[in-house]
Amino acid sequence: MVVRVAIVVALLGLVITLGLAFRRDPHDIRTGTVGKPAPAFTLQRLDGSGDVALADLSGKVVVVNFFASWCLPCTEENPALVRVYERYRSSNVVMLGVNYQESRENGLAYVRRMGMGWTTVADTDGRVALSYGVFGPPETFFIGPDGVIAGRHIGPIDEATLVTGIETLRTRAAR
Amino acid sequence: MNGRVLVAIALLVLAGALVFAARPHEATADERIDQITTELRCPVCQGLSVKDSTSETARQMRDLVAQRVREGKTNAEIEAEFRTAYGDWIFLSPPLSSWSGLVWLVPVAVIAAGLGLVSARLRGPGAPAPTAPSAAQVAALRERVAREEAAEG
Amino acid sequence: MSAGDLGAAALRAALFLSLWGTGAAIYAAWRRDARALHSARIAAGIGFALVVLAALSMMFALATHDFSILYVAENNARETPLFYSVISLWAALEGSILLWTAILAGATAFIAVRGTVAIPRLATTALAVMFAMLTFFLLLITTPAADPFARLALAPDNGNGPNALLQNHPLMALHPPLLYLGYVLTSVPFAYAIASLILGEGGDRWLVATRRFALISWALLGVGIVAGAWWSYAVLGWGGYWAWDPVENAAIMPWLTSTAYLHSVMVEEKRSLLRTWNLALVVATFALTILGTFLTRSGVVNSVHSFSLSAIGPLLLGYLVAILVLSVGLLLWRSGRLRDAGPIGAPLSREAIFLFQNVLFMAATLTVLLGTLYPLVAEAISGAQLSIGGPYFDRVEIPLALALLFLMGVGPQLPWHGASRATLERQFTAPIVAAAAGAVAALVTGTTALAAVLTYALGAFVIATVVQEFARGVRARRTLHGEDGVAAFSNLLRRSGRRYGGYVVHLGIVVVALAVATSQARTVDAERTLAPGESLQVAGYTVRLDAVRAVSEPQRESIVADLVVTGNGANQDLRPALVQYPSSAQAVGSPGIGAGLRDDVYTILAAYDQRTLSWATIRMRVIPGVSWLWLGGAVVGIGAVIAGAPPPRRRVVRMPIAEVAAPAK
Repeated sequence: MVVRVAIVVALLGLVITLGLAFRRDPHDIRTGTVGKPAPAFTLQRLDGSGDVALADLSGKVVVVNFFASWCLPCTEENPALVRVYERYRSSNVVMLGVNYQESRENGLAYVRRMGMGWTTVADTDGRVALSYGVFGPPETFFIGPDGVIAGRHIGPIDEATLVTGIETLRTRAAR
Repeated sequence: MNGRVLVAIALLVLAGALVFAARPHEATADERIDQITTELRCPVCQGLSVKDSTSETARQMRDLVAQRVREGKTNAEIEAEFRTAYGDWIFLSPPLSSWSGLVWLVPVAVIAAGLGLVSARLRGPGAPAPTAPSAAQVAALRERVAREEAAEG
Repeated sequence: MSAGDLGAAALRAALFLSLWGTGAAIYAAWRRDARALHSARIAAGIGFALVVLAALSMMFALATHDFSILYVAENNARETPLFYSVISLWAALEGSILLWTAILAGATAFIAVRGTVAIPRLATTALAVMFAMLTFFLLLITTPAADPFARLALAPDNGNGPNALLQNHPLMALHPPLLYLGYVLTSVPFAYAIASLILGEGGDRWLVATRRFALISWALLGVGIVAGAWWSYAVLGWGGYWAWDPVENAAIMPWLTSTAYLHSVMVEEKRSLLRTWNLALVVATFALTILGTFLTRSGVVNSVHSFSLSAIGPLLLGYLVAILVLSVGLLLWRSGRLRDAGPIGAPLSREAIFLFQNVLFMAATLTVLLGTLYPLVAEAISGAQLSIGGPYFDRVEIPLALALLFLMGVGPQLPWHGASRATLERQFTAPIVAAAAGAVAALVTGTTALAAVLTYALGAFVIATVVQEFARGVRARRTLHGEDGVAAFSNLLRRSGRRYGGYVVHLGIVVVALAVATSQARTVDAERTLAPGESLQVAGYTVRLDAVRAVSEPQRESIVADLVVTGNGANQDLRPALVQYPSSAQAVGSPGIGAGLRDDVYTILAAYDQRTLSWATIRMRVIPGVSWLWLGGAVVGIGAVIAGAPPPRRRVVRMPIAEVAAPAK
């Protein structure tokens, strides 16, 4: 009798698990770094004009965007990035493009072609992407003035999401 | 040679070979890199390990692990670095430390339950050994043989 | 009328016939009505022809690039070669379900025509079950969720072409159909088991009637799994053959339960024991094929093979639930009639070893099942995201596999009911000596990992038991029948095929196990960026890069590295490539493999100079013994054929006596 009940319960559990699985998107992966201090880095600018250190940007809202010229969704999200950059360029919001897994020349050519006026840096050996837990470009991280990662977006981002992320951090900083 | 002596020698040789294979030894740097990268999941692949994947991301991760090993970091420290960035997701076998380690109990539980059920059905040492088949059993066997012959045509 | 219209119409007509056949078979079984049975037979035959016609229409539409059909537009392009166009029938969800349905219709027709003659009532009830399942699949492929013949309002000029991974290797023609045949044929023993339960038969008629089907589906699954491993080795480009990917897990689970069944069934045949258990194994095997299909085709788990998120998920889940409710309900209801007589036997008897073996197979199956599902459970309960992959399955399944290897040597050497001390000494002296020799051989050849040494020892143990069995069988025939050695050997295989074919299967499994152990323990990796003329040395092999060049074909663009491998007696040209199909965003790697009985040299073009083709990064793996894996799979297949071949008729058995009696010519 115990065996029978156990079998029925186990099969019920199996079916319920499978049913619940429909609510899950296997491509939605949330990982570790949100809510933690942003990993520090110092990277060379894509145009070769010196280094950028995250530490130098403390006290500002930083939007870190991982991108690559070979990544189609990056091309897709770029106009939103450009508009948001123009909107905040004279404020305490810093946009930082991190070029992912490609040569400096290709990255730089892409930046010029796409009209990306913000600072772009080269993550040649991929260490920064690994420390942020990046799966693949495009990915966008919102870092507050306190240096903590407040939010993360995987995949192409739109203007509204960018603005919401930035404004949340600005109001929090103002308080 | 006496068969029993032969078996005893063979068992000794076998045990010796297994002890030799299982001897503890300090892992070399390359072995440690392999150990760690085997456990890490390649973030851009379909369930492949960082050791096996040919992707650029996996290569960068292998480089990072190799550098950390050279720097003298322990396996636990290197794994912690990846856990900070990617969470438990990055490990291909769930850590024993958290409740998710319960999955390791599955095979143990199944074997224990199975052996319990089986041993209940086995004849104990005191039970009688099988005797000649009863008349009913012989009849059943005859009937089956006849049927199978008919089925084989 | 276009091929697409014809196929769609054929499927709808087949659905109607299948519904009719379900009703007719139920009525025929219930009222023992010969006319209804006749009608069901005709429905099964014509239904099968119609589904085959639909599958052929799809192949024709693919071969003629009829892009007005959505499936063709998505999985074919004008440039796709004819061979890959035709086999694109199983390149995506809708087409594979069409193939599945065609095989199921074939099995239904076979039972209708052949099965219902010998044991009419049981087979007619089983036929009703088959028809019901066929009806489900025909409903599935005539709903929009998985309609292979869905039309596009406006036919595009060209299609997307098949998935890059699926048009890269001819093994794609072999591996999915083999697996699907194996999957679908598990439904025949299932249908008979259900029929037996419905009719309340306590006996094993269902089992005798489906013995050959169980063996065939098991063999096809096994060979299909090995072919799949070979495909992924030759195509996926990471130098491995098994990654515990959900779709691989889905295939191995029914194979494991099916293997358990093929053994425990002997306990029922010899001792009339384990009736409920055998029924449960047949049900589990079948349910696991459906579960595997659900897991990999609904998109709930990530896999190399999972087709995109699809609407058929809930339908398949509903089907699985219906099957579980029906079969578990029947088993619980009827278990009173399936009581076994008495205890099983001594711990050192063949039947006890079969039981232990069944326990291990259950542990292996449930570990794969729960390991595959656990991330879903964990996320549903706590929101935590975690992974279960190779390292977990290796740690659990390798010890189980080693224990099973041990039992594979022990089981056939023990008599039924129990063994005496003298029997044990007679049977195990030589195998134990062989095991010691195997362990030493492993160490001498440099295979020093503990699991590998154990595999060599146990492999030698099993080989020795098999050789001993053959030697004794041959000696017995020579003494009894006066045959010479060769005749005695071939007669063992022909006349006692089930037993000696089984031993051949065991040998094949040992070969597979040795190949896996060797390749896992002694694979060596290296990676270097080379300019033409430079070379890379690994494990006694030298790989020289001669050139990097671009190759253009109608359906694809490739970058090819020309490599020459020398050393250890090898001298071979290899051409690993990065292949860009228009349909896929990223190039896929196509490895260059130098296969050999000793080692495979596996090369991958990891990166190259995109401007001037002046360098290439070559990743190289030397994988010892991996070819033996495919050979072992073939031995398993051959053993299954020997075991499943019908024995010569009785008259033939008496022939030698007649010859002896007759005067010499």
